[in-house]
Amino acid sequence: MNRRELLKMVAAATGGVVIGGEFFLTGCKNPDAGVGTSATFTESDIAFLDEVAETIFPKTATPGAKDAKVGQFMTVMVTDCYEEKDQKAFREGMKTINDACEKMHKHGFMKATPEQRKELLVAADNERKDYQKNKKKEDPNHYFQAFKQLTILGYFTSKEGRQGATRYEPVPGRYEGDVPYKKGDKIVTGLS
Amino acid sequence: MNTYDAIVVGSGISGGWAAMELCKKGLKTIVLERGRQVEHLKDYPTANLAPWELLHRNSHTKKIKDDQHIQIRGFCNESNSHFFVNDKEHPYVQKKPYDWIRGYHVGGRSLMWGRQCYRWSDLDFEANAKDGHGIDWPIRYKDIAPWYTYVERFAGISGSKEGLPQLPDGDFLPPMEMNALETHVSDSIKQKFTDGRRMIIGRVANLTRGWNGRGPCQYRNMCDRGCPFGGYFSSNSATLPVAAGTGNLTLRPHSIVMEVMYDKEKRKAKGVRIIDENTKEAIEYYAKIIFLNASTLGSTSILLNSVSEVFPNGMGNSSDQLGRNLMDHHYHVGAGGNYDGFKDKVIYGRRPNGIYVARFRNIDEKTKRSDYLRGFGYQGGASRGRSWNGDGVGTELKEKMTEPGEWGFWLGSWGEQLPHPDNRVTLSKTEKDKWGLPQLEIDCEWKENEIAMRKDMMNSAAEMLEAGGLKDIYTFNDEKAYPGLCIHEMGTARMGNDPKTSVLNKWNQLHEVKNVFNTDGACMTSSACQNPSITYMALTARAADYAISELKKGNL
Repeated sequence: MNRRELLKMVAAATGGVVIGGEFFLTGCKNPDAGVGTSATFTESDIAFLDEVAETIFPKTATPGAKDAKVGQFMTVMVTDCYEEKDQKAFREGMKTINDACEKMHKHGFMKATPEQRKELLVAADNERKDYQKNKKKEDPNHYFQAFKQLTILGYFTSKEGRQGATRYEPVPGRYEGDVPYKKGDKIVTGLS
Repeated sequence: MNTYDAIVVGSGISGGWAAMELCKKGLKTIVLERGRQVEHLKDYPTANLAPWELLHRNSHTKKIKDDQHIQIRGFCNESNSHFFVNDKEHPYVQKKPYDWIRGYHVGGRSLMWGRQCYRWSDLDFEANAKDGHGIDWPIRYKDIAPWYTYVERFAGISGSKEGLPQLPDGDFLPPMEMNALETHVSDSIKQKFTDGRRMIIGRVANLTRGWNGRGPCQYRNMCDRGCPFGGYFSSNSATLPVAAGTGNLTLRPHSIVMEVMYDKEKRKAKGVRIIDENTKEAIEYYAKIIFLNASTLGSTSILLNSVSEVFPNGMGNSSDQLGRNLMDHHYHVGAGGNYDGFKDKVIYGRRPNGIYVARFRNIDEKTKRSDYLRGFGYQGGASRGRSWNGDGVGTELKEKMTEPGEWGFWLGSWGEQLPHPDNRVTLSKTEKDKWGLPQLEIDCEWKENEIAMRKDMMNSAAEMLEAGGLKDIYTFNDEKAYPGLCIHEMGTARMGNDPKTSVLNKWNQLHEVKNVFNTDGACMTSSACQNPSITYMALTARAADYAISELKKGNL
């Protein structure tokens, strides 16, 4: 799977184009600002994002999103790859998650139990799914879209996710196009 | 000090061949490359990086989107962006939208090329003469066939022998294998279509066994980062090291050739004038023969800029054909679908190659179309990755997305573009680059024949997938796939028999300046629909052989 296939997969999985992954975007305001850093995010933001990602991809027999440092990854991607309007929407999305949690569970997301977090994000994801299906092309994405996309992308390209959840083969040495598979086998996927 | 037997301008796929052939025959040769040095193995900084070692996991950062806004329309990404130009530093004028995708460094685009290699046949070499578009090629398949064999034997092309007259077999290394779904679809197409169309494994310059000290391919599919195993053909891994090994090669990076200098008395070129990319110093180099291999638009720019009393409109341009008949292949059109089956099968390894469907339209009376001329081929393939169903949250989602999804098939088409004199490049009279050289103005568009062909390219793809039992078939026809995007730019200094209507003769010599040769894409008289690089290689080896024999005879 090459980069384009991966983006296609992430896009298909979440019903829309990958935010920041558009091929024809130009004219960003300040391309050099904080490359590789997460200047506008704090440690507590990263902790919050780790918990959101962990709720989407929890630790099971294989590593979870927190093990894969998906929170940190999200901040790097949003800072370096997202356009200003998408950065703003991401910021607002963090607040929306917390507010929705207050509403549903009477306390903020960080204080919620894993079960409460899941209940909240299942609801958010259902809403996202319906919204993305019915929205017009020019409408903004649902706020949960970015969290979902970045979790999937970040997890499967992380060391922990790739080596833990799939069969990572940096140098396959050969190609076989007809290999028997049974449920539970880890599969070899792309590099990017 | 600055005098050599031969000058080669450019070190990409054809420049590398010119350098190797001339050096092997004993000519002291200088290769002038406009960009920086890229040494095989040493200068591939991302070749061994794991996905997590790329900070943005191979995504486009805002910086890449800003600096390389044209390059990313192709396949420039975080892991290979150092091999693509900075669009801000290398501007050009788009009279109509044109994607000029380039790599300015030793090896040029031979480092990032798609590596698909298909011989042309007389269907292609006779096309212009038969339908009257463009001018007749001055060569036929028999003239180039031995040179295809010659370059295939050195480069190492893997593929299967199929006996298709429109896609001649070559001297191949063992073919890569088709996967389960490709085999199934290929068999279905053979059974269900009576027009002889065939889906075969791609013919690719990846080595299926060790070859001339290189490879074999390790099936990583990271070729565009440079290969630490030398698993595919590039100037850096193959031709330039052999050229250097002769002791006859001088390679000078950072050398932007401004013009070819003309000697009016001798009616020959005497050398080239360069500007050093960094110091901006102008330097002259002299040689008996000059090979221009600066890429299609690079070589034509140099000739257009080589003005003199004798050639006020560019060297060798008395025909007014220099800059005209720019062609590319039109693509981003085709179909895809999913397959409900083979659930007990997966793939191992990452094959840097796909399948190919040879042209099957307008190849004889039986397959003649009334709606367009010429034809197209297909590239693509089947794969089975992780599940694409991303609905839900939690353990169920994670488990679902870790399992394989359905098999999918993608089939994209590559179509021929007719030569048209109005699709042309000229030098800007007002805009200059940072070295003071005039910017190129590109004025090129798809015309009626291409647009009509695309409908059939799309529908025939869907039809073949349907025959193969695919479901959920979708089609695509990207109207924003502008000329240039396929990175198969060709023409602008075409070969021909008549100096009144062509720039180069049948040996790739300028009709009017016999010691100047051009053997990159600029020389092409038509575009066919096959990927062109192997044809550039063959024409280069053929022209170099001729140049040396002429030199020996004292004719140059």
